[in-house]
Amino acid sequence: MTEYLDPTDSVAVPRKTASRPMSLDGKVITLLDISKAQGNHLLDRLEELLRERATPKAIIRKKKPTFARPAPDALRKEIVGATDVLVEGLAD
Amino acid sequence: MHDGVFFEDNGIPVATVISSEFVRAARAQADALGAADYRTVVVAHPIQPLTREEVRALADRAFDDIVRRITA
Amino acid sequence: MSPADPELDADAIESLFNRGVTDGLPVVPPTRPLVERAIAASGRDAGELIALVPPNYGRATVEKIAVNAVMAGCRPEYLPVVLAAVEAMCDEAFDLHGVSATTNAPAPLVIVNGPIRAELEINSGAGVFGPGWRANATIGRAVRLVCVNLGGARPGDVSMSTLAHPGRYAYCIGEHEEASPWESLAVEHGFGPEQSTVALLAADAPLGVYAQRSRTPEDLMPTLAASMAVISHHRMTHWGDTLLVLSPEHAKILGDAGWKKGDVRRWLHERLQWPVRELLPGRDGGEGLPEHVLAKYRDPGRETTLIPKFRSPEHIKVVVAGGTAGRFSAIVPGWTFSKGSNLVFRRIHR
Repeated sequence: MTEYLDPTDSVAVPRKTASRPMSLDGKVITLLDISKAQGNHLLDRLEELLRERATPKAIIRKKKPTFARPAPDALRKEIVGATDVLVEGLAD
Repeated sequence: MHDGVFFEDNGIPVATVISSEFVRAARAQADALGAADYRTVVVAHPIQPLTREEVRALADRAFDDIVRRITA
Repeated sequence: MSPADPELDADAIESLFNRGVTDGLPVVPPTRPLVERAIAASGRDAGELIALVPPNYGRATVEKIAVNAVMAGCRPEYLPVVLAAVEAMCDEAFDLHGVSATTNAPAPLVIVNGPIRAELEINSGAGVFGPGWRANATIGRAVRLVCVNLGGARPGDVSMSTLAHPGRYAYCIGEHEEASPWESLAVEHGFGPEQSTVALLAADAPLGVYAQRSRTPEDLMPTLAASMAVISHHRMTHWGDTLLVLSPEHAKILGDAGWKKGDVRRWLHERLQWPVRELLPGRDGGEGLPEHVLAKYRDPGRETTLIPKFRSPEHIKVVVAGGTAGRFSAIVPGWTFSKGSNLVFRRIHR
């Protein structure tokens, strides 16, 4: 039996999703702009709606330097340390 | 997707808003990272030619889905 | 080694295609002896990690790269070039994450400089972007297979390019240093002429420029400028690394007149600038300056500040390539959208 070597490398490790709060009241919400054109308009409106319809403790706005790469480690750490939930957009 | 998977992995619930043309790419990328349970919020494609008001209307339509994605 | 079994090979080709690990063309089944021969020719350890390949960040060890190079049809002695190319395209500055996932069309273009071109018969002359040279065809193809198999850039899944282009099968050229009046691309970037290097550019398809009647720089340069002005869109500005491929005959026109590469760059940069008022979006063709730039001016409709097509002259990269007959050059636009990808060099270690 001829052996053929595998050209791929799987990096998948099983990952969990976070547990969800019952509501957004009293939570810190981060809106992360991925720096794709138009995303700021979506997040602007979302911020208005969140303030109208929920009572978050705070809404933080953050922006990635470019949509074409993952966020820098420093930004990721800053967000993890400061937020309860996150909304990111807009990928198109 | 890398960011969203990273935040979920670190205990932060995430709603990633993507346009409908990117559902398959998002699924493939999440699966490649091992995040089989990762879910996104989908708005209608295309985005780039829209006016500011049209993009804001997308936020109105997606609002309930976004809240559902980050709450129990 | 057992004698070749054509039926077994045919089955292997089908099963590799069905696994989604090819570019659609038949590949050489990567048997252990073939892979080990390539690893041995590189002089490196099989397990040495060369890079993590975005966007999936698969581990590109010497062995994994060798498997893909064998599949692409590389001869064992090509492996050092493929290793250098993979290392270069996985450099942060190249942004392979964006290059592989974008709806734009870039493909990693491998530009080879130095004596290894002659040793491996890497074509830099007639038909330089075309078929017929095993080294160019298979080194370029190996890079693509690494993007797919270790980076996860499967078309239609993670790779979302709307159109892509044929360079995504294989995109590898040598610089025709012997036909150039100037120092090579690698020497310009600090390497010695005796060193062999790869330079990786996230590149669109080559756009041909005809200039058969030009006899002087004053004839030729405006023609080149007019073709460069329309890269991506006639009102898109602030572009980064882009390649101007001058044919030997065109380069000679400039060299004979005493022009240096730097003169070419500066002339094009100065020529390719427009006032803000001519770069407004939504008039005479969709695109234009982005909102945050327009916001800097009180009345953009009258603003005369000049905005250059290229961020600086240094972003216009010049190589000489192609046959010694024919007054045709080419523009190869980079993928520099949103400060995306930059030209990245690596030395080829042998």
